[in-house]
Amino acid sequence: MFKELDPILHSQLRLAVMSLLISVKEADFTFIKEKTNSTAGNLSVQVQKLKDVGYIEVLKQFKDNYPHTTCKITPIGIGAFENYVKALQEYLKV
Amino acid sequence: MPNEKQLSEKESLQLITDMIQKVKNSYHDKGVGPLLWGTVVAIASFVSFLQLQYNFSLPFDIWWIVMGAIIPQIILINQDSKTQKIKRHEDSALNAVWLVYALTIFGLSFFQSVVPNAAEQMMQLNGWQIVKHEINNSKPDEVIKPFTPSFYSMYILIYGFPTLVTGIVKKFWPMIIGAIIAYVLFMISCFTETKYDFLLGAIAAIACWFIPGIILQVKYQKQKRTNV
Repeated sequence: MFKELDPILHSQLRLAVMSLLISVKEADFTFIKEKTNSTAGNLSVQVQKLKDVGYIEVLKQFKDNYPHTTCKITPIGIGAFENYVKALQEYLKV
Repeated sequence: MPNEKQLSEKESLQLITDMIQKVKNSYHDKGVGPLLWGTVVAIASFVSFLQLQYNFSLPFDIWWIVMGAIIPQIILINQDSKTQKIKRHEDSALNAVWLVYALTIFGLSFFQSVVPNAAEQMMQLNGWQIVKHEINNSKPDEVIKPFTPSFYSMYILIYGFPTLVTGIVKKFWPMIIGAIIAYVLFMISCFTETKYDFLLGAIAAIACWFIPGIILQVKYQKQKRTNV
């Protein structure tokens, strides 16, 4: 019996965001936008969804008088990501 | 990237790999810090060797250039933190290692400047002193200040520590090799005169920081050209 894939992560942009954040301590919103080739609006919506389920933390502050958003994966997010990868490996038998 | 595109399992795994790779390729150390420290420590050590070898002294202590390098280093760290778009897990651990290294070097310098005078006072209180006596009686006996022979060896030993940690954590072979060279030079310096210890210290600084710094700078410039 295969595990069901986490619907939050099984979406292109959200999975891309989580994959970026899993390998760093924290990343700027602009960095994520650049690496995922997404638009700011689109990315904001997906980041909010990840935040709502507690997978990431979003820190909004000001840097040199400009708004600056930083994203960071949470322990819940790490667990969900690991489970997702395990489930994928089961599907693909790798 | 479309927001809600559903992926196949294979596509998901490929996307995860691609994103992790993108992060890996996006971070490049400019190597300015290692270049700066490698240069100043090598110059200070080499000039100290020349002073002892050719019996001359500069009107100032050459090691002040190492202290002077702290200012551009602070500016660099400040600039980097402004432009840095990601923070890696190992960044804070490595910063702590380099902070401990700086404190250790400061502690050693303090030891060197304080202990000889303190030891001399204690000896005087106990009613004895250190006298330099030529075995062949070619010169009259001379009262000297207490000193630790070959003390610069300790600095060479400590140069290797943060360099090896950084090299291992970042899997950066030039720094690992540099640290190994520093440890070998430390052992050699235990058998050499103080003036040669300074020369070995200059070589250690070049191996630990200057050469890795140049390699990092070349890699960074190459990556910059690729991204343009």
